[in-house]
Amino acid sequence: MDYLYDSTFDGLLTCIYYSYYEDKAKGIYPQDYYQCSLVNSSRIIVTDPILSSRVYEAIAKKISSQALKQAYYVFLSNHPRKENIILKYLQLGFKLGRKIDNLHTHLDVLPVYQTARKVSFEVHRFYGLLRFAESNNFLYASLKPDHNILIILAEHFVDRLAQNNFIIHDQKRNIAIIHDKQEWYLTDFNAPENISISEEENFYQELWIRYFTHISIESRTNKRLQNQFVPHRYRNHLVEFKKSFLTNLSS
Amino acid sequence: MNTMEKLAILTEGAKYDVSCSSSGVNKKNNGGLGNAKSFGICHSWSADGRCVSLLKILLTNYCIYNCSYCVNRNHNDIPRASFTAKEVADITIQFYRRNYIEGLFLSSAIEHSPNHTMEKIWQTLDILRNEYHFHGYIHVKIIPGADPRIIHKTGLLADRVSINIEQPTEQSLKLLAPQKSLQSMFTPMAEINHRITQNSEDKKKYRGIPKYVPAGQSTQMIVGASDDTDLTILKATETLYDRFNLKRVYFSAYIPVNEGPNLPALASMPPLQREHRLYQADWLLRFYNFKADEIVNTQFPRLDTDFDPKIAWALRNIHLFPLEINKASYEELLRIPGIGVKSALRIVRQRRFAPISYDNLSKFGLVLKRAKFFLTCQGRYYGGISIDTSLIRQALTPQPQPLQLTLF
Ligand code: SF4
Repeated sequence: MDYLYDSTFDGLLTCIYYSYYEDKAKGIYPQDYYQCSLVNSSRIIVTDPILSSRVYEAIAKKISSQALKQAYYVFLSNHPRKENIILKYLQLGFKLGRKIDNLHTHLDVLPVYQTARKVSFEVHRFYGLLRFAESNNFLYASLKPDHNILIILAEHFVDRLAQNNFIIHDQKRNIAIIHDKQEWYLTDFNAPENISISEEENFYQELWIRYFTHISIESRTNKRLQNQFVPHRYRNHLVEFKKSFLTNLSS
Repeated sequence: MNTMEKLAILTEGAKYDVSCSSSGVNKKNNGGLGNAKSFGICHSWSADGRCVSLLKILLTNYCIYNCSYCVNRNHNDIPRASFTAKEVADITIQFYRRNYIEGLFLSSAIEHSPNHTMEKIWQTLDILRNEYHFHGYIHVKIIPGADPRIIHKTGLLADRVSINIEQPTEQSLKLLAPQKSLQSMFTPMAEINHRITQNSEDKKKYRGIPKYVPAGQSTQMIVGASDDTDLTILKATETLYDRFNLKRVYFSAYIPVNEGPNLPALASMPPLQREHRLYQADWLLRFYNFKADEIVNTQFPRLDTDFDPKIAWALRNIHLFPLEINKASYEELLRIPGIGVKSALRIVRQRRFAPISYDNLSKFGLVLKRAKFFLTCQGRYYGGISIDTSLIRQALTPQPQPLQLTLF
């Protein structure tokens, strides 16, 4: 039996619940992209927050909190078969319990670690590479991440910028974290056409570019290393690369 | 002079200080702006490929001293500038809010007197911490010779402090920085270390004790300005770790900025390869339980240029190999070239369940093409050549790449 779900983590966990208490799931797929086949029968699962929270707690208690985190990170990834990777991993986890945390090389565990690592690598990268610009009392940042990492970034920046209102906008998925007066939420979002930049904002961008160009030591110039750390696809979102590139062109 | 111009000058003067990491302390935001993450965050990479994590600037580049290796020395005719404490605090906050930086690394030349400069550094931190409620990472320079009371109140606001000894021996200092002495730097280092230790004891006993330099102290040595050998430098490094519990010792390849009788010629290249090898050796000291005189000794006082210090050590001690992956202790595994801390830990954990086979070994994240010459797996040796220093040395030497012909 193939299970089809609504692409939420709760939905995925609901599938896992039914897979244990009703028909065993052969695979889990997002309902929107599923291609019906004659060989496999399929079933649309309605997300049930009570059932999903039971599975959530079962994973934390019977397997481990680390396993829960790993599964969640895989869920946030762009891996095309992430649901099935998670399914296999949790099936093994419920069999072995906590021991699964040591089985990095097992065929059903390795892809989980590899995928989760990619996600946390990207999260870590954006802790640093995200850039805010101030506009009308809001700090606005945009990014186009490979993985769906806004929710993880939110935790980090909500603590860090507590007193500030801010928006972190995933332009690939058209969603954003909005932090407004001590509260935050994830929402569908389309950027306003042009974001007005104040004189003060402009000043600090220029100051930052000035800093950025002067901190480099000429006799150690190593563009290859720089390219390796800051891939070109991120540079559109980084003032120090975007603007200094423009000034280089015009001078 | 406007802020832009000052920033340019005071960034130029600070950039040769290599310690830039923001790691070592976890702090939550406490009703203000900012927090700190122990894993360290890079916010950008400058054109020299170095991580930009902190706003690294000088408070001033006016200096009463004349250290011969330094751009800011008194005798140099260069543009000079000083920030006010408030200017530095404002830039820090505005950069931080935009997520350009992880915090501040405030260094300084010595304007007027050590006390004057130290007091101004403290003032900057006072504004940042107590007026702006900034909880992000702050690293500041301690000015040797300043009043211990100013140093102490600064330590209560900083995450990390450092005094750069710059030279590993008293003789080299005499030659290059005659106004300084190791002793004048060791005194505050010892004092700070003492306070840090006391602070962590107090914290166990009483609640709500303010933290004192929670990310510890570090220092930096310039490599290649004097003719000290790697042996001297690594011995000094080891002593600094042992005596003052330093968190890090940084090395900075000397970039010829001045002319002088006791200095390398202006045209000479910074010894980047040597700096790299020293960092590798430092890594062995801190995480691999090596002693300095295992890495270099009076017979081999310089680090091998062809091989990293761990391979060089293994080749000199080939009689200790091969080691059996399924039996060697954790400490022994760490001695195998190509095996790092992570892979050693994984190996030790996994082999409790089942012996590890050679085919599985690559999954542990080790570098097999190096490690295979130094280990056996379930009793078998996979190196393919006999265990002989010169044969392995040859096998590990990178082959010159044949030039690739391209069609474009
Ligand atoms: S005291 Fe510091 S800034 Fe002044 S000359 Fe010596 S190294 Fe340079």
